Amino acid sequence: MKRLRFFRILLHSIKALINQKVKTILMMLGTAIGIMLLSGVMGLTRGVEMRIEEVMKTFGPRSGVIFSGGGRIQTAGGRASVEVRLKLSDLENLRNKLGEKAIFSGAIRREGVQVKYENQIQETTIFAVDPDFPYCAEWYLKEGEPLNFFDEKIKARTCLLGTTVLKNIFQEENPIGKRIFINKIPFIVKGILQSKGTSPGGWDMDDTIWIPLSTGMKRVFHTDNIRIIRFKVREGFPLKETISEVEETLRILHKVKEGEEDFRIRTPDFIAKRINEMTKTAKIAGFSLAVIALIVGGIVLMNILLLSLSERVPEIGLKRAIGAKEKDIFLEFLLESIVVSILGMFLGLLLGIIPVWLLPKLLPDIPMAFSFKSFTYGFAFAFFVGTIFGVQPARRASMLTPIEALR
Amino acid sequence: MIELINISKTYYTEGKETPVLHNVNLKIEQGEFVAIMAPSGTGKTTLLNIIGTLDKPTSGKYYFKGKDLTTLKDDELSNLRNKSIGFVFQLFNLLNRINVLENVLLPLLYSEPYPKDAKERAIKLLKSVGLDERIYYKPNALSGGQQQRVAIARALINEPDLLLADEPTGNLDSKASQEILEIFKEINKRGKTIIVVTHEKEVAKEASRIVNLKDGTIINQ
Repeated sequence: MKRLRFFRILLHSIKALINQKVKTILMMLGTAIGIMLLSGVMGLTRGVEMRIEEVMKTFGPRSGVIFSGGGRIQTAGGRASVEVRLKLSDLENLRNKLGEKAIFSGAIRREGVQVKYENQIQETTIFAVDPDFPYCAEWYLKEGEPLNFFDEKIKARTCLLGTTVLKNIFQEENPIGKRIFINKIPFIVKGILQSKGTSPGGWDMDDTIWIPLSTGMKRVFHTDNIRIIRFKVREGFPLKETISEVEETLRILHKVKEGEEDFRIRTPDFIAKRINEMTKTAKIAGFSLAVIALIVGGIVLMNILLLSLSERVPEIGLKRAIGAKEKDIFLEFLLESIVVSILGMFLGLLLGIIPVWLLPKLLPDIPMAFSFKSFTYGFAFAFFVGTIFGVQPARRASMLTPIEALR
Repeated sequence: MIELINISKTYYTEGKETPVLHNVNLKIEQGEFVAIMAPSGTGKTTLLNIIGTLDKPTSGKYYFKGKDLTTLKDDELSNLRNKSIGFVFQLFNLLNRINVLENVLLPLLYSEPYPKDAKERAIKLLKSVGLDERIYYKPNALSGGQQQRVAIARALINEPDLLLADEPTGNLDSKASQEILEIFKEINKRGKTIIVVTHEKEVAKEASRIVNLKDGTIINQ
């Protein structure tokens, strides 16, 4: 290493920085704050990406959900909406008209329903679903038998257990063939669902029991309406156009104009777009602040270097006398600036842990994740700032003639 | 070894001409110990800077080991200074943020190739000026005389042919001054050419030759 002049000068620069710690820290600060903000933005970007990936994974990229209620009375998840306008007939009509292009399945979802097995009592989310639901949701069985058309037809009191419910009420016991009570109505367990983990919204998707849709409507919830229609566009059919067709068909069925729908269609694409829109402002603001901090930091860095230049004039003179060329002096000062910036980057990455850790704790809706990109982008930005703002001091230092510097 | 022919130097500041040297002719042979004597402010530092290639003459020729230096580029002059000329300043010009050893090694930062035995060489030089016990001290922890000895070791690290000293004892008491002059004589004995600029007779009389400079020109050699 020492055989290369570049490394000797680099080492000398680093030593100079170590020896003036306070000044070095001051020079680092701007870059550090900029990189901290930048890694916050990167963390947010990565978090959004991950949440969208999750949405895609849990929904399946070709599937969608139709919620009843819509337009002006939109609420989160549709749970609080009063209007209930999706009927079994809608499902039948969609199947008749678009059954070739997509699979449709109706469902009712209800939270906080009491489930009892022997003396174990739990609350869980009940899904009343028709037999096509597993295909639409891409959610299949781990063990046992699925809910079939016969169950649907006779409003069978059969059910499938999600893994969380299974663990909570059966522990180690094999549940298949056992009798449980849902809302005090006896059901026979037919099978166990695959584990789906946590939903993008943060709830445990495995904390659920599935029952036949007809059973749900007639025996448990006593309703003629369904709340959700899930669908999945079959391979080979264009996604966007098919979804538009679904929307158009429902509009005709409900006799509503565009913009006045009493239903909402949510697709992973739509949700991804929403998440992106929600975080876009934060990203832009964060990025702008980061750039401003880097520029301000760069100017501070440049000025401290220029100030310290005047007290280092004799040093420059001496170095010219003992054989330093103009470009050696230039390199030395430029390297100091770049090294300071890169040190600032490391401090910034360290400080960047704060937004990435703290923000999701304070505001759980904000997706944040550590991103390796923070390092690469941070390095690039720090190097850039160090170079741009180091050139002027380095040029001034190198332009001093030996006698000017020694005077 | 050194030959100055009709060297003149005029400074131009804000349109005003300030002649400092005129028609200086000086020849110094290898192995000489020359003192350039002159009162302060009569161009002796300028002359030394020209000899040391830190400054360029306005007119005249300068031959260093037979080579015309007035035609050399800046980078070539830097290389020449690095390899062939050692400087000792009145104010020592040591870097206080690095230790004595690193100060002595400083010229090697710009040397190509970097010598493998750099550290051994530096320690040997520090030993020869009696500072081998203090190699890890910071310069500002040393006395003036000791600092100047560090500066001499630094000037010698690349084994130059020529050692230039500008009022090397100007900031030292008489005892330390005497020590420095003894070191110079010792170095000169080993064959190095030394040029010292001074206004003190006590310093000049240690040299083998005294050159008197007056009003920018040499009055006797």
